[in-house]
Amino acid sequence: MAAKGFTVSKLILGLLLTAITLTMFVPIVNLFAKALSSPDKVYLMKGYDLLPKGFSLLHFKVVLSNPIVGKALLNSLFITVTGTLLSVFFTTISAYVLTRKNLVGKAPLMVFLIIFMILEPGIVPEYMVMKDLRLLDSLWSMVLYRTINVFYLIIMMRFMEDVPDSLIEAAKIDGAGHMRVFVRIVLPLAKVPLLTIGMFYAVSRWNEFFKSSIFLSDPDKTVLQVLLRQFVVDNDSTALLSAATLLSNNEVAQLDFSALKAATIVIAMIPILVLYPIILKYYTSGVMEGGIKE
Amino acid sequence: MMGYKLKKIWTDRVLYLMLLPAAVFFTLFHLLPIYGMKLAFFDYRIIGEDVYVGMKYFKILFSTPVFSTVLANTLIISAMKLILIFPIPIIFALMLNEFHNGRFRKAIQVVSYLPHFLSWVVIAGIWFEFLSPSTGAVNELIKLFGFPARDFLTDKDTIRWVLVISEAWRSIGWDSIIFFAVILGVSPSLYEAAYADGANRWHILTRIVLPHLYVPMVTIFILNVGFIMNAGLDQVLNFTNVSVNSRIDIIDTYVYRVGLVNGEYSFATAANLFKSIIGVVLVLSTHFISKKLTSKGAW
Repeated sequence: MAAKGFTVSKLILGLLLTAITLTMFVPIVNLFAKALSSPDKVYLMKGYDLLPKGFSLLHFKVVLSNPIVGKALLNSLFITVTGTLLSVFFTTISAYVLTRKNLVGKAPLMVFLIIFMILEPGIVPEYMVMKDLRLLDSLWSMVLYRTINVFYLIIMMRFMEDVPDSLIEAAKIDGAGHMRVFVRIVLPLAKVPLLTIGMFYAVSRWNEFFKSSIFLSDPDKTVLQVLLRQFVVDNDSTALLSAATLLSNNEVAQLDFSALKAATIVIAMIPILVLYPIILKYYTSGVMEGGIKE
Repeated sequence: MMGYKLKKIWTDRVLYLMLLPAAVFFTLFHLLPIYGMKLAFFDYRIIGEDVYVGMKYFKILFSTPVFSTVLANTLIISAMKLILIFPIPIIFALMLNEFHNGRFRKAIQVVSYLPHFLSWVVIAGIWFEFLSPSTGAVNELIKLFGFPARDFLTDKDTIRWVLVISEAWRSIGWDSIIFFAVILGVSPSLYEAAYADGANRWHILTRIVLPHLYVPMVTIFILNVGFIMNAGLDQVLNFTNVSVNSRIDIIDTYVYRVGLVNGEYSFATAANLFKSIIGVVLVLSTHFISKKLTSKGAW
């Protein structure tokens, strides 16, 4: 165990850890502060400032009242929520089936899954398939695309293997079918792994940007991450400022583009921050337990 | 035997029905695209059947100078990340373990895990501000020491370092979890016994803690080698710009540009197939090497 009390080496370690963590804390809080600053004072903000200069919600108002951002936000929410629910349900039900004893054909199915996990066909064939399915420019392309992630399926299967057979057999003797056993017995037991893979799916769906930018090129179907990229990476402010017509000329003149960008980044981070406590509780403990078992 | 199997399939018919949606998803979004990779051997036709051309696109690929550049970029960026980032989470976990003050440790963990959950678009947004020559925190610090501000993002000599460091920034906390868990799992009786034998902190680190970390270290390193063909598509797409693209253009960005932007479908598929095959071979071999050495594989 570590030595108790204060030592010089411990002080140095503590400072080092604090410094590393500050490189994460400062830029993120700085973005919040910038987005919340009053427009005429944004230029005073330095990169290490943690508090807004003045206070105004105008940047958020401009970004959120922009119909393009509003639409992208709704599209992202739809894909994330619908997609995550479908993913969790079908991953769990498939994991249940694949862990049943003596399932005929399990071995070849597992070989297929491993192939799917490691062989990436690449973006062109995937684009062709989406085109043939007539899913391009439909939000369903991103909902249905890779609904089941093989990796998460395997994590779920590991959990299912631990569900005592006796429990399931007892229910079957009582006349319950597989579907009933799954819904009534397995699902309630699987609360922690369900939340864990639910977080995995939700985070990756909310953050997905490359495939969305390809499958959803219609501006009406754009998702938030793709729009954010336009603002932040391509510095394309036309879409962002188009809603400024809602404001008085005086206000428009004051708007600061870098603060608008900051507000958009903050909006894209908020769902993650809201989920973060749950993520830490389930997702992290999952990894920890996995580690300890090793 | 056959009759028994058929009978078992019939009794389990509900199970197979439950698996049906998964079968449909995997067929549509995995099997069909894998089958579609055959486009690398065909000329794409908008109307009518594609024409078989054998190795034509692979021959073009290997005689295209840009392709060797993107292949080299991919390997260089991956190797830099693989080697330079690898020890960082381990050191981070060891450092964290020195602190038993619950609040300090918790605060460090809560903040340092966060970047792992942010998209590369958001991270790029944060880093552009962070590295901004006019207002960014990094350049403020540089100016404080009397040096001129630098734009690291448009500088060919620094951009790969930006990729490596931003990747480390994103993963240091999260990747340390597995090591930290192993350290926490070391039995306290081992420490007590060692101290009773007169061991100092250095002995504890080298004789007790590090040997426990050997298995996860070897496993994670070997498995990372398996993914060396993936140098970070999302990251590069968000950090790239005209001034530096030649240094960080990787196979994935190349395939995207040639295939979907320029519409050279067959050529891009050939480039991707080349990458995928190497990827599969690497993942499979590293999986078996890791299994052999540490009994832990990729799945």
